[in-house]
Amino acid sequence: MGGLSASRRASNTLIYIILTLMCIIWIIPFVCILFESFRVETTMQVGYVIPKQFGFDNYINLFKETDFPIWYRNTFIMGLFVSVIQTMFVLMMSYTLSRLRFKGRKGLMNFMLVMGMFPGFLSMIILYRVLSRMGMTGEHSVIGLILVYTASSGMGYYVSKGFFDTIPRSLDEAARVDGATRAQVFGRIIMPLSKPIVIYTVLCAFMGPWGDFMFAKYIAHGSSKGMNVAVGIQYLIDKDNMRAAHYTQFCAAGVLVAIPITILFMCLQKYYVEGVTGGSVKG
Amino acid sequence: MATVKLTNVKKVYGKDVVAVQDFNLEIKDKEFVVFVGPSGCGKSTTLRMIAGLEDITGGTIEIDGVVVNDLQPRDRDIAMVFQNYALYPHLTVFENMAFSLRLKKVPQDIVYKKVTEAAEILGITEYLTRKPRNLSGGQRQRVAIGRAMVRDSKVFLMDEPLSNLDAKLRNQMRAEIILLRKKIDTTFVYVTHDQTEAMTLGDRIVVMKDGFIQQVGTPEEVFDSPANLFVAEFIGAPKMNILESKLVSENGQYYVDLFGKKLLVDGKKGEYFKTKAVKAQDIRLGVRPEHVKLSDMTDKSAFECTIEVNEMMGSELYLHTVTPNGDKFVVRVQTINISDELRHSLNYGKKIYVTFEGKAMHFFDKAEGKNLINA
Repeated sequence: MGGLSASRRASNTLIYIILTLMCIIWIIPFVCILFESFRVETTMQVGYVIPKQFGFDNYINLFKETDFPIWYRNTFIMGLFVSVIQTMFVLMMSYTLSRLRFKGRKGLMNFMLVMGMFPGFLSMIILYRVLSRMGMTGEHSVIGLILVYTASSGMGYYVSKGFFDTIPRSLDEAARVDGATRAQVFGRIIMPLSKPIVIYTVLCAFMGPWGDFMFAKYIAHGSSKGMNVAVGIQYLIDKDNMRAAHYTQFCAAGVLVAIPITILFMCLQKYYVEGVTGGSVKG
Repeated sequence: MATVKLTNVKKVYGKDVVAVQDFNLEIKDKEFVVFVGPSGCGKSTTLRMIAGLEDITGGTIEIDGVVVNDLQPRDRDIAMVFQNYALYPHLTVFENMAFSLRLKKVPQDIVYKKVTEAAEILGITEYLTRKPRNLSGGQRQRVAIGRAMVRDSKVFLMDEPLSNLDAKLRNQMRAEIILLRKKIDTTFVYVTHDQTEAMTLGDRIVVMKDGFIQQVGTPEEVFDSPANLFVAEFIGAPKMNILESKLVSENGQYYVDLFGKKLLVDGKKGEYFKTKAVKAQDIRLGVRPEHVKLSDMTDKSAFECTIEVNEMMGSELYLHTVTPNGDKFVVRVQTINISDELRHSLNYGKKIYVTFEGKAMHFFDKAEGKNLINA
């Protein structure tokens, strides 16, 4: 008994050491960025981590000297619109594929699965041309990007369809017999039961514009007014940019970008684990 | 007034999986009709077609004289109780029951009145603020029934509502459904695979198999005059004994030839054969275990069986025996009617003599299994 317990303790210790190491490695870049953002003594990249002088200069300058507020606003607006539109598309698509049986349903699902496997940037050039003709590039790229992010979002139906599939169909049927239309079933029964998946979809959709670089850069086409944060802050440390020395501002911007996403995630994460269907039907 | 009429109703899944065929039935106003049959016989499918949850492949369904084939469930004015309760997990018991009324935008005071009334009848008033997950199986089923009750709908559909409950609760709820039916007095269609439920609840029973109706009749008719071998064996527990036999006619009397013994077919069944001049033929003879009597060697009509298993059911013994030609034959004996000595001797290997009267016999033709009486 004693031997078994000792060997178990040893293996647990080992596991914890490995996990701790992995955590440290994973968290180092974040800590570094945080320290850099508070560095006052220089704006350049330096060979040490902990600043000699702490201050908010980088944050203040970010707002005073750069277009950061515009990039931030652009991204925030895109995040809002994309999260609403994309969530609607994805959930309606998933519910339809989960509940309705129509000709070509399987074929459509397979088609979308295959289409989803192609990298999105294959369509970048043609999308730019289309959006450019419609005047949605450069300065006005926010609208263009919202279109790009939401247009095909219904194809990401797999996760939420899988979730809807676990909600018993008899709930839909009971509601329909009780006098509900399909839309009412969706709105009054399925949606309240699907909080975790709604939250998941909203989070993913909201985060999309914050992290996108390739499309955003291409469609903004060098116009600072049309950039999102990812493109914008890269622009800060761009070699061609005269402000190439503003490395610490770049880090401060990174910290600011992380804030809304972190808050959102912390507020909503409990829904991930909440079981909601308990007690509805015989288990 | 709420009649339900099904005419030539047919359901085919995909291209060739036939679930229901040639279903013709007229359910009268305020009648309690039970669809019964083994799983896969099409009884639930038929109910779901009445509810509008399944498309109808052929035929028509009328509710109150209106063809409802293409109407959505919500336009049919029906209420339904599901096998797995299907309560809305995010709503309280009150809101579950009020759901249909809320959709109809019924004023709050009427909603309150109806829900509390129904809860009162079902004895779930104290649970109105709870969520379904905090209720037991029996309570959930009551809520499901309550949700259907507040609708005051034309037809009340129940799809195996008791099959998820344990045996004791099932018996209790069965009795409550009988009481409930008196209180809400509407047209009921009830689906079950349990013949006891069918017998105790139904004004009329529809016995189904492989998508076809086998027999429609009152519990008495179905039990006393099963239309065919399937119904005979399905209704009643333990099931009817079926023996290979011959119907013979001698001196104007009909006899059944069983293991060399001649058993007289007397009473109404004998008269029926005489008036119809039924010809002698090979038959399958059905006898219910409860109609078999223990006898002794001296009885000329008695034949010998060997006990294989003795099931002690409390007030009764189920004796599983084997006939001289190896067929299974079950005898149901009331323990109060036999001596203790005999009772304790009824063990494996014991030979007993059994007999039955003419009125206990059921005659089925050998080829198709149809009942020869009223055939």
